[in-house]
Amino acid sequence: MHWSEQVWVRALRGRRGQPLGLLLLVTFLGVGLAPDVLGLAALRLAGFDAYQRWAPRARRSAPAVIVAIDEESLRLHGQWPWPRTWLARLVGLLAEAHPAAIGIDLVMPEADRLSPGRVPEFVPGMGPSLVRELAKLPSNDAVLAQALSGRPVVLGVAGLERDPGRPAQPLRQAPLRTIGGDPRRFVPRYEATLRSVEEIDRVAKGHGLLNFEAERGVVRRMPLVAAAGDAVLPSFGVEILRVATGAPLLTVRVGASGVEGVGISGLLVPTEPDGSVRLRFSRTDPSRFVSAADVLAGTADLHVFERKLVLIGVTALGLSDYQATPVTERMSGVEIHAQLLESIFDGDLLSRPRAAAWAEAAVLLLAGLGLVLVVPRLAVRASVAAFALLVGLMGAGGFLAYLHRGVLFDAALPSLALGALFTAMLVVTLAEAESQRQILRRSIEQQREQAARVAGELEAARRIQMSSLPQPTAVFPNETRLDLYAFLEPAREVGGDLYDFFALDRDRVFFLIGDVSGKGVPGSLFMAVSKALYKSAALRQARQVETVMREANAEISRDNAAGLFVTVLAGILDTRTGLLEYCNAGHEPPYLLPSGERPILRLADGGGPPLCAVDCFPYTASSRHLEPGDTLCLVTDGVTEAAGAGGELYGRERLEVLLAKTGPGTSAADVGDAIRQEVGRFTEGVEPSDDLAILVVRWKGPSPGEG
Amino acid sequence: MDLTPKRYADTVVLATAGRIDHSTSEGFKTALAPHLARCTAGQDRILIDLAGVEYISSVGLRVLMLASKQAKAQGGTIGVAALQPDVKEIFDITRFTMVLNVFPSVREGLAQLSPPALAAFDAT
Repeated sequence: MHWSEQVWVRALRGRRGQPLGLLLLVTFLGVGLAPDVLGLAALRLAGFDAYQRWAPRARRSAPAVIVAIDEESLRLHGQWPWPRTWLARLVGLLAEAHPAAIGIDLVMPEADRLSPGRVPEFVPGMGPSLVRELAKLPSNDAVLAQALSGRPVVLGVAGLERDPGRPAQPLRQAPLRTIGGDPRRFVPRYEATLRSVEEIDRVAKGHGLLNFEAERGVVRRMPLVAAAGDAVLPSFGVEILRVATGAPLLTVRVGASGVEGVGISGLLVPTEPDGSVRLRFSRTDPSRFVSAADVLAGTADLHVFERKLVLIGVTALGLSDYQATPVTERMSGVEIHAQLLESIFDGDLLSRPRAAAWAEAAVLLLAGLGLVLVVPRLAVRASVAAFALLVGLMGAGGFLAYLHRGVLFDAALPSLALGALFTAMLVVTLAEAESQRQILRRSIEQQREQAARVAGELEAARRIQMSSLPQPTAVFPNETRLDLYAFLEPAREVGGDLYDFFALDRDRVFFLIGDVSGKGVPGSLFMAVSKALYKSAALRQARQVETVMREANAEISRDNAAGLFVTVLAGILDTRTGLLEYCNAGHEPPYLLPSGERPILRLADGGGPPLCAVDCFPYTASSRHLEPGDTLCLVTDGVTEAAGAGGELYGRERLEVLLAKTGPGTSAADVGDAIRQEVGRFTEGVEPSDDLAILVVRWKGPSPGEG
Repeated sequence: MDLTPKRYADTVVLATAGRIDHSTSEGFKTALAPHLARCTAGQDRILIDLAGVEYISSVGLRVLMLASKQAKAQGGTIGVAALQPDVKEIFDITRFTMVLNVFPSVREGLAQLSPPALAAFDAT
């Protein structure tokens, strides 16, 4: 069996492959609504990342400036960590520029080892007085605390996955108010927090979580709030905004399905249910950065910090936490915080509303149904174009939604699903076409084979029939007393007509015409057998036609397994005396066309049923003296039942009219040809359904030599 | 080709219609077969009502011939009745009147085949 005709292929293919297409479509819809099952979410995220790479966010208001502790700073000021007095100086310098807020992207959980009082620990050989003097000096932490206090400074807090078992710091009430429910069950959760030493932490105006979580190695989202222990903490960025606006509290709005947004002094930032926002990144921009070295050296233009959100962070390679983002492989953590501030400021965050997922499913459903319906009906090239158009439209739609609405519509997964669906439909359609070709090929083969077989069989039947028929000129080459015409036209499916004539002795001629009640090879075989048996019976029982008939009936019946019968009209004409004996076994009666006065005669007397119809039927013969020139005309029902174009039969009446018109002295051949021609005209354009046989016997009288 | 059987005492009258020719004779033969199987000595007699038949070809005659032979071999009786003129002529020419019992009408056929059947026929 050809592969395209396997049962399961056919079941999936249905009439046009729709069962398979619909099955795949349902599968893809399921996968599309729950893409994590097959790890396809990565593909979706890659699609979203592609949007950002093609069209990164444009920086507009640039609210944040980063003071970067960069390579240059380290080169000038030495190794990190610096004494906190330097950080204090940096903050002091920046504060003079009246920034809206200063965020320090650092956690300083231990006391500064470089404080004067601790110098003897790592500088041996100091005298006791020097040690005492040093101990009197304020610690570096105190200096930093002094610098921070009273200034709008936000310190970083690190969320820890695991409680390190450090001595607990006093809980600081987070400046958060929740509306509508408890956000803790929705937001990211940390077991503990790591804060700066109490001395510093205490004086900061705000504290924000520095953590961001990478999805599959790429930072795309930033939590605005998270749970740490029992508390809910704001993230670094929103805390900077709160401090900058001077708002006492942040509001966390919680709905039934999760966090809905975080309010900062009248501005509500909508969030994902887990309290995070999807960042829309711009590319790394050097104009965001001012080197800490320049600030410390007094060479930086301090005006750039005025009324800005200033972020102090480490960007020096090897020290900073670099993260991969959609727009770049490496972005320092502090810049990511700056990106968040810019995004919030410009209202340029991304969102993926629940409706987006349903829209994707709906688009996939419609486009998929379209493909399922259209692909089997289109040429391959057209269906490829249709598929490409659909994918192009989805991609363009997704990109436009991103560009103008900041909505993340996933075109990648539906495209992939459509691609798989399209491929499957194409394969199935091609399989269907292939299968059709196979069926067609086979049916043509069968038809040819059938035609050849039938042609062979019909040809065989025709040969059997025709080869057993004698020709008058061959049988009676020198017969002057007899004028004989014989004609047989087999139908396409041979009907088993027969005729025969032979000499019984010097004077007597035996003739017969017959019709077997069967067609094709069986009919022609039976015809040939009947004719042979009849002839042998005639030659053995040469005396009387009725005994020949009885004998033939017995013999033919003996070998008649097929249950056929044969009508026969047989006669013996004595060409010397003109005595005609005839016997009719169920055949059309012969016509006598007298040489002189008309009308013609129908010799319907005597006889019996067809041979083989009744066993041992006592056939009786009739006899008649012919006049010289009398003509006998014998036909089969191929003549009387020849059907014309309208379905009408030629009929006996027409035949009789025709025969009546033949004048005395018309030769046997002319009578026969007249019948043939008229029947031919009558049946013009109609395929004959039965054989047509004509036998015309004209007695010309005793030969002159004997008369 | 359908046969509509009607029983009168020990005789089943099978009525048929249309043309019995090359295309219908096999169906005619098949429909006839079960009735023929019961057409034995002392069992059913069969009378085929040809009133609705307008033409019968030699193939159709062959079916009747074989039926007649089978019935005869089983000791049963079979006949045909109520032939239309054209069909009657075919029977006359082929002398099938000598092969089968041919009756002008169903009633006469029943009268010849079985007095009880005639009584039943007249009673209905």
